Amino acid sequence: MAKVTFITTEGEKVVVEDAVGSLMEIAQYNDVEGITGDCGGVCSCSTCHVYVPQEWQEKVGPADDLEKDTLEFNEHHKPNSRLCCQIEMADELDGLEVNVAPSE
Amino acid sequence: MSDPVNPHDDPFREARAKCPVLAAEFQGETIPMILRLKDVRKAAKDHKTYSSDAPIRVPIPSEEDVRTVRQYPLEVDPPVHADYRKVVEPFFLRPKQPEVLEKIHALIDRLLTAACEAEEIDIVKDFAIPLQSHALTYLLNVDEKEAELWISWGIHVFKDGDGQSKGPFMEKYCQEMFEAAEKNPGDDFFSALNQAEFQGRKLTMEERLGYANIAFAGGRDTIIHTVTRIIKYFSDNPKGLECLRENPKMINTAAEEFFRLFIPLTHIGRVCPVKTEVHGHEVEPGGRVSLCWSSANRDPEVFEEPNEVRLDRKPNPHIAFGFGIHNCLGQHHARAIMRGVIERLAQGVSQIEVTEERELIEHESEYSRKVGYEMLRAKFTAK
Repeated sequence: MAKVTFITTEGEKVVVEDAVGSLMEIAQYNDVEGITGDCGGVCSCSTCHVYVPQEWQEKVGPADDLEKDTLEFNEHHKPNSRLCCQIEMADELDGLEVNVAPSE
Repeated sequence: MSDPVNPHDDPFREARAKCPVLAAEFQGETIPMILRLKDVRKAAKDHKTYSSDAPIRVPIPSEEDVRTVRQYPLEVDPPVHADYRKVVEPFFLRPKQPEVLEKIHALIDRLLTAACEAEEIDIVKDFAIPLQSHALTYLLNVDEKEAELWISWGIHVFKDGDGQSKGPFMEKYCQEMFEAAEKNPGDDFFSALNQAEFQGRKLTMEERLGYANIAFAGGRDTIIHTVTRIIKYFSDNPKGLECLRENPKMINTAAEEFFRLFIPLTHIGRVCPVKTEVHGHEVEPGGRVSLCWSSANRDPEVFEEPNEVRLDRKPNPHIAFGFGIHNCLGQHHARAIMRGVIERLAQGVSQIEVTEERELIEHESEYSRKVGYEMLRAKFTAK
């Protein structure tokens, strides 16, 4: 089963073992500070913004065009930004660490 | 599942395909309406070019006949906007608290039980207006009895069917509530604003009235129309209800899809402080543009089959709650209510039969758009 770690803007690490679902759902369920997921995961609100470290980018994959369009206008947008509602947890992501982006 | 064909659902379709803006006249002022999603988002993020520092003039048509106060934090720009918004944000986050959510669900259950027990109800008057008014008491943390007066303000405080704006009554009522809260402070919205510190000072009465004005007017017709249209959709598409009963995980995506398509607020304005060219249209200093949320939400460049209701649409990057710093403060409240309505309908109602309806159409010089219903009579059958 896959493990994921969220690192908040305060540097707190939230480790979730046996993570299932989208990263946003996992973060919400585990009260990760900074991920509110207001729109419930449809890529509308960008309140689940994370940064994916370089070593994980290939496995996680890039944002699609609609996600990129939403991210583009976020003031904390970086090349490694993702909306984590669009990332489904999977076995090959076991050990993934993501950094929570600051709120707008 | 296709949307019932209604020419007023997407009146901007042709204009949007031809040109990024539609020049339309409102109260003698020509205003370019920005129609495509990406352009609307871009403008909503650019407060220097498209300013909200325009009391009474952010809504289109402007509201000088129906209110006297600037609405906070809607009608201010950065940097002061963030401080204004901070003052009231805790109240608008209340619907995320489990105990508040529980009250909203209990209210929906109560109203649905009454709907099923009655032979027939008017969904607008007997369900959506009481739901909105009572739920607002939970948001503002005031006595639920206050809802009875708010119910009498009708669908829209500023322009309800009897032709008389309730705006002046509402301003007077709010002033009295602030004065009463001065004498007997509590944990409610009015007391909190009386006590609030804003940039090292207290808020003036005019500022407090400006906050209250939008708290009452802003989330009123929007919630009422969305609730009504969701119920109408399930009356026309009972299989949708069945589908959600079997797949409760789809409730969130369904709610977002309804927000996208049923957005009652056609658009909102911004003022250009200097001469600005907006996709080929020149706007004079002090002139306005419109951010047309309702058109952007049906942009075929972004949404596949934009006029089709897809209860599982994901991604769904709609801007029904606006975009950028001025995004709707009441969105958590709206989501809590709509998700609750969908869930409770799926669980407790087997059939909704509409017997009589009167659509509410917004008629302007360049378009006529359906925003909701004035009346929607229906029979509910419990599951």
